[in-house]
Amino acid sequence: MNVFDRTMKRRQKNWAASLQDSDKYDYLRDEVGSRVADRVYDITRTFPLALEIGCGKSHIAEHLHKEVVKQLFLTDISEKSLRNTRESEIPTNCVMADEEFLPFKENTFDLVVSSLSLHWINDLPGALRQINQVLKPDGVFIGAMVGGETLYELRCSLQLAELEREGGFSPHVSPYTAVTDLGNLLGQAGFSMLTVDIDEIQVHYPGILEVMSDLQGMGESNCAWNRKSMLHRDTILAAAAIYQEMYGSEDGSVPATFEILYMIGWKPHDSQAKPAKRGSANVSFGDLSKIGQPSTKDKS
Amino acid sequence: MSGTNVWTRSRERMRRFPELFAQCSGEAAAYGKCVTATTTGRQELRKDLCVKEFDALKTCFVTAAKKGVK
Repeated sequence: MNVFDRTMKRRQKNWAASLQDSDKYDYLRDEVGSRVADRVYDITRTFPLALEIGCGKSHIAEHLHKEVVKQLFLTDISEKSLRNTRESEIPTNCVMADEEFLPFKENTFDLVVSSLSLHWINDLPGALRQINQVLKPDGVFIGAMVGGETLYELRCSLQLAELEREGGFSPHVSPYTAVTDLGNLLGQAGFSMLTVDIDEIQVHYPGILEVMSDLQGMGESNCAWNRKSMLHRDTILAAAAIYQEMYGSEDGSVPATFEILYMIGWKPHDSQAKPAKRGSANVSFGDLSKIGQPSTKDKS
Repeated sequence: MSGTNVWTRSRERMRRFPELFAQCSGEAAAYGKCVTATTTGRQELRKDLCVKEFDALKTCFVTAAKKGVK
């Protein structure tokens, strides 16, 4: 499965990290990073050794405390991002590694996090399997990736504009994982006790060019092999008009939707609750109708 | 860092796009309405279906650009 040009993605991320005002484009990553850190806090455990995959400038570690995560490894394919990581109170080690070829031994980490980088991976099932391997039994993987209907406004505007101006269209927005596929992917990789939820972040921009230049500044430019290397100026003008007309709001701004899929998966371990054996039931579903009030028994 | 090249010059030109586009909001709305009408109506979108509205938009845009440069 070779959809994305990883060398190009590394170059784009390096370019974005070397911009003078690269902090200006960090708003989305900061927001998602803080939400992933929230999910880490929701698990009442201390993680001695943690790994962050595709960390960029490290947007999760600054929200974590020393008591929750003792030591953190940061990996990314872009060297310039690793050199500009944010300050955090947790001792960190930076490793330049591709998400699809993790250079770590099996059963090493208690926690693996990933925020907004899995959508550029070619072999997502393989990468998830590798994450499962480097986790210790009873370790947890918490990830956030863009998926579903992200940037559908941009995609539709460009599609209609190219159709009207040039007679055909080519893909400009990369293909995303649907939330329904995520459960299967995690299950096949060997994770259990899955939690998948979806969150929508809508950001308003003055126009289509600001959307595209912000995406470029974030290092999120298109790097699929089948991308067209240029966008005609007529098409840009047409797409700007269509975007404004179809999706614009009263104050003239246009929205761009980011659908973030959050996933939590655990590596199986004996201490985890298992489904009960068949035939071990001692109450019948038929008795449900006899219940007059909601019972306050807690479920095991 | 190298001096000005074709990429820096074209990026400079693109930076003027939003202000020029704002001056042609009427023509842009007309073109946008023409295209979006095909998403709800029975007529399918094909090449140059809205060429009249687009030419009006492009003329407005180019005039605004020329005015700015002078």
